[in-house]
Amino acid sequence: MVRNNKLLAVFLVVLSLFLLAGCGQNESKATDQTGDTASQMQSIKLGGSSTLAPVVAQCADSFTEEYKTWNKVDPQLPEEPIVIFVSTGGSGFGVKAALDDTVDIGMVSREIKDEEKEKMPEGKIFKLGSDALTMAVHPRNEVMQVKPDLTTDEIKSIFAGEIKTWKELDVKLLGNSIVLAIRDLGGGASQVFDEFIMKGTPVAKEAIQLPSMGALAGKVMENQNAIGYVSFGLVKQNEGQLGVLKVDGVTPTLETISSGEYKIARPLLLITKDAPNTKEQLFIDYLLSDEGLKVVEEMGFVPAAN
Amino acid sequence: MQFKAKKQLYLNTSMGLICLLVSSGAMLLLLAIVFFIARESWPVWSAMGPAQLIGGLDWNPLAKPPLLGLGAMICSTLWTALGAILLAAPIGLCSAIFLAEFAPAWLAAIIRPVLNVLTGIPSVVYGFLGAAVLVKYFEISWHMASGESLFCASLVLTVMVLPYIVAASESALRAVPSEYRQAALALGVSRSYAVLKVLLPLTARGLLGALILAFGRAAGETMAVLMLAGNILLFPTSWFSKGEPLSALIALELGTSATGSLHYHALFAAGLVLLAFVMGVNLFINILMHYKGKRGT
Repeated sequence: MVRNNKLLAVFLVVLSLFLLAGCGQNESKATDQTGDTASQMQSIKLGGSSTLAPVVAQCADSFTEEYKTWNKVDPQLPEEPIVIFVSTGGSGFGVKAALDDTVDIGMVSREIKDEEKEKMPEGKIFKLGSDALTMAVHPRNEVMQVKPDLTTDEIKSIFAGEIKTWKELDVKLLGNSIVLAIRDLGGGASQVFDEFIMKGTPVAKEAIQLPSMGALAGKVMENQNAIGYVSFGLVKQNEGQLGVLKVDGVTPTLETISSGEYKIARPLLLITKDAPNTKEQLFIDYLLSDEGLKVVEEMGFVPAAN
Repeated sequence: MQFKAKKQLYLNTSMGLICLLVSSGAMLLLLAIVFFIARESWPVWSAMGPAQLIGGLDWNPLAKPPLLGLGAMICSTLWTALGAILLAAPIGLCSAIFLAEFAPAWLAAIIRPVLNVLTGIPSVVYGFLGAAVLVKYFEISWHMASGESLFCASLVLTVMVLPYIVAASESALRAVPSEYRQAALALGVSRSYAVLKVLLPLTARGLLGALILAFGRAAGETMAVLMLAGNILLFPTSWFSKGEPLSALIALELGTSATGSLHYHALFAAGLVLLAFVMGVNLFINILMHYKGKRGT
């Protein structure tokens, strides 16, 4: 009898789980419409470039701190708490997620391709600023004293694998192999680097691919033989831990990047698939305001002309 | 009395039905995953042909036309996973034999939980430790320009799969009825002889199953491998060269690939290859298990 009861109990638990699962499904189907709009009403989701994410996340924090509820931003909006989610996944993900509505606003740190633009005829693109790729080495690498200025062709030869050791670059340097640190080939940074330096020449297969700009900077910071294209913003954030080489005699600084004298630069963009709704527009306006652009500059990027 | 029996019968059938439902649900899930990945990767299979995709050694998704050969990645996956099994198998099997046959109860009670804790460490932490300790060690002691290598990834995977091998092998050993041990010892052979000549042949397939489980785990591991294998596109010629296993390739590039491009489909194809790999090995083992062993009695 006792065993029967036990069996019955197990049976009931399993059965109720099934029923609950069923309920859950039906319920979610029924409230799909309303639930979705409710969550959209309550939160703004941004996703994409790992370069741009820290800037947007910091702005989102200060925006939420400052206003707390939407009616304080605009009296016509209802009194709802401001919720903004920021996630990373690369520029490609930023475009993809914006197009399939996974996020409301995509963050992209490269030019938007034409075929991508075709998929968002109603979409809007906002430029937040620009970022340069610097040729960074370990600060103790002697190339900083011996040969701090590289030409585009030298960089091309290094990354194409024609110059394999530091000694081949300059006889005063050590005979260690050059360790190439790059982002994965599909990433925004890779495409910019290809556009300005490699111009279609494939990067050497020996190059180590790193999953994020942060990891790339970390690799260059800890490996004495490494050279990599590190985002200007990250160089600023890690002051003194990276050696930055001149390219064709130009040092990357805020001035040279915004004047276009330093060539290897890329835009930092926000994209939406359709015209942004009121709340999204308000947050984008905040990002493009002086306060937002100040954060862009603090993070080491070049703010867009207001 | 009759009523009770009926109730029992009713309970039994319904229990069976529920178990059937649950297990077929799991089956369906697996099939759905395979179907989805196959569907997402179909365009690239039909455009490039399996031979070019699996046998090709050049990977440059942004070239025109894109070069999408997975050969180097497949080879890297084999190196890291098989290397890890090669290192972990002897350690794992010996530990399992020790725990099951020789260890005093109090010692086993200490070792077992410690091994189980290893399974709970997130792979990012393993990867981070590997990057901080192993990579540095290889750079300093072996004068490598950069310390990542397939061997490095294998070493960390070894530690990661060890608990699986030990747990599965130990349960296989414990499943052997004690009559065999008693009979062996009664015949006057030593303990170690009994283990090596009686127990191991009896549990051979169980032990092989443990290794297969570990292989699947090692082949699919992503984060630690991504941080340690070096991710270069060259074909790995040795265990100590760098390489980019399939899982690392997918993790690296899926975020940056344009949806619907050949590149995107090729990454799904890589996923399918990885899945087919692990499932194929599992299937192979199951077939082996069915054929009553080639055990010399």
